[in-house]
Amino acid sequence: MNEEELVEYFRAQMRKDPDMASAVAAIRTLLEFLKRDKGETILGLRESLKWATDCLTGEDSSVAVSSGGELFLRFISLTSLEHQDLSRCKKVMEERGELFLEKISMSRTKVAKLCHTFIKDGAKILTHSYSRVVLRVLEKAAAEKKRFSVYVTESQPDSAGRQMAEALRKLNVPVTVVLDAAVGYVLEKVDLVIVGAEGVVESGGIINKIGTYQMAVCSKAHNKPFYVVAESFKFVRLYPLNQQDVPDKFKYKADTLKTVQNLSEEHPMIDYTPPSLITLLFTDLGVLTPSAVSDELIKLYL
Amino acid sequence: MPGPDKETDLTERIEAFLFDLNRGGSGAGPLRGSAETARETTALLRRITAQARWSSAGDLMEIIRNEGRRMTAAQPSETTVGNMIRRVLKIIREEYARSRGSSEEADQQESLHKLLTSGGVSDENFRQPFAALKPNVIEAINELLTELEGTTDNIAMQALEHIHSNEVIMTIGRSRTVEAFLKDAARKRKFHVIVAECAPFCQGHEMATSLSKAGIETTVITDAAIFAVMSRVNKVIIGTQTVLANGGLRAVNGTHTLALAAKHHSTPLIVCAPMFKLSPQVRRLSFLSDFYRYCEILSKVNVHCPVFDYVPPELITLFISNIGGHAPSYIYRLMSELYHPEDHEL
Repeated sequence: MNEEELVEYFRAQMRKDPDMASAVAAIRTLLEFLKRDKGETILGLRESLKWATDCLTGEDSSVAVSSGGELFLRFISLTSLEHQDLSRCKKVMEERGELFLEKISMSRTKVAKLCHTFIKDGAKILTHSYSRVVLRVLEKAAAEKKRFSVYVTESQPDSAGRQMAEALRKLNVPVTVVLDAAVGYVLEKVDLVIVGAEGVVESGGIINKIGTYQMAVCSKAHNKPFYVVAESFKFVRLYPLNQQDVPDKFKYKADTLKTVQNLSEEHPMIDYTPPSLITLLFTDLGVLTPSAVSDELIKLYL
Repeated sequence: MPGPDKETDLTERIEAFLFDLNRGGSGAGPLRGSAETARETTALLRRITAQARWSSAGDLMEIIRNEGRRMTAAQPSETTVGNMIRRVLKIIREEYARSRGSSEEADQQESLHKLLTSGGVSDENFRQPFAALKPNVIEAINELLTELEGTTDNIAMQALEHIHSNEVIMTIGRSRTVEAFLKDAARKRKFHVIVAECAPFCQGHEMATSLSKAGIETTVITDAAIFAVMSRVNKVIIGTQTVLANGGLRAVNGTHTLALAAKHHSTPLIVCAPMFKLSPQVRRLSFLSDFYRYCEILSKVNVHCPVFDYVPPELITLFISNIGGHAPSYIYRLMSELYHPEDHEL
């Protein structure tokens, strides 16, 4: 599979199911790449997979794609330790890969099952931008006949919040779109804040659409619980201590990185929210406090 | 095969226990301490394991889960019952895994690692019968009972490290654990204790009487005076009814006030809680307090009297349990060692 085919396959996966997480599409693409790979050695396989992951991050620079790729690479290493023979190894990898994809496609449902009980009748929820996981949680809460209303931030520069509002209106949930600048204004009316995450970092903090950090600081000031919903494949081995520590390759869109000369004139698309501002994280591994996240990562990578 | 007499005996005991739990909660019977409840629950579970009819671990777990659901329904505010049931379920899982000889005991929890490496759907339905399972489980439950016997002493042993001479300690209401803790320190150190009375039951009065009998200088204050007196206090030591999974507390009414006052004055807040009080629940927004009418002044006035408070983990400095001292952010880890995630919901 050459670079074009790879990127085309990835795009096709995203088009086929717009509800799929970009990390899942990336892993699916890498699995397909694995199946078609004609390498002779495990080391060669790893090299080509690394190259494939780089191509994909060149297409979609989000943290989720990068974490999905790393997870897949880790999966390959763990499997290759058990079987030394390449052909046997590949067969096992393909089987396990399919199984893994099946399991992670269930993650959103698991998260929704855990989180919807925290939304009580009559609650007012604030959320940020468009997140499919948050949408699924709110769907589940609505299906359980809970009455609640939602405030969504517009989330410039791409107005993704309007897309969220549309989707919520289809569920008959009363929704209000507010300006990004109106977060502090609206917080006194709100009972809880739920946001998604593009990546969950080692410290238990999250990387998400720009404006999330602001919302978290305001929630802390107003003493409102700040909940994060994320699937476990978004856990990434980064440990930023402040906004500057987040690598540039995640901050800007892939095309911007390729074309623009002076990045300091561009607007970043994501920001980092430290763990001290987060109350609880809802993942398919359970309800975690931010300090529990690093435990999970250590179990995987060490 | 246990004969019909043993079975009716077992059912009788379970019914008697459920009745006791129910009475204890409605205020009619004697208020039992959590340690007693934990011990009785565990003893009852051991009896069920010994006398009930079961052939495989799966059956036993089903029986215990059913009885467990009935017990927690009888008295929802007594979380130690549910905790002990979950501990026993974990014991059964471990013993089963050991009998099967699998070394996957440590890997029973969901984790990213497990997601990547598992070769297939786990077929753990616990159906395989093992002859040695019964005595092993009973042995493990006996160990659990021994652990329960020693909890208060283990906590009290750590008192000297935390209490120094000429300190002023504040506490609220009556906690047997804190009582033992303070009495143990009083053997070697001289310090002063201020007890908030904790209206309307004023259990603080009994605590103060008991402490002064042990030779500790005690002062009783009203709940309203907590903030005023806090500036003179060196440490706050309290007990709790339950420790929640996020490191928060469900403690007697008035504790949140105490915690906020302590935070304001940067006074360390120490919670003495044995491990059997650790519950996998997390605080929901629709938090059930036990509201009940205390008195009716006029027919048009309702007086609501919550029994428990929620204290968030940010206000707590240290947890002292029978296995040592921990930060609130570490509670999730202790919980994963005590209970299996599938047992969180009975």
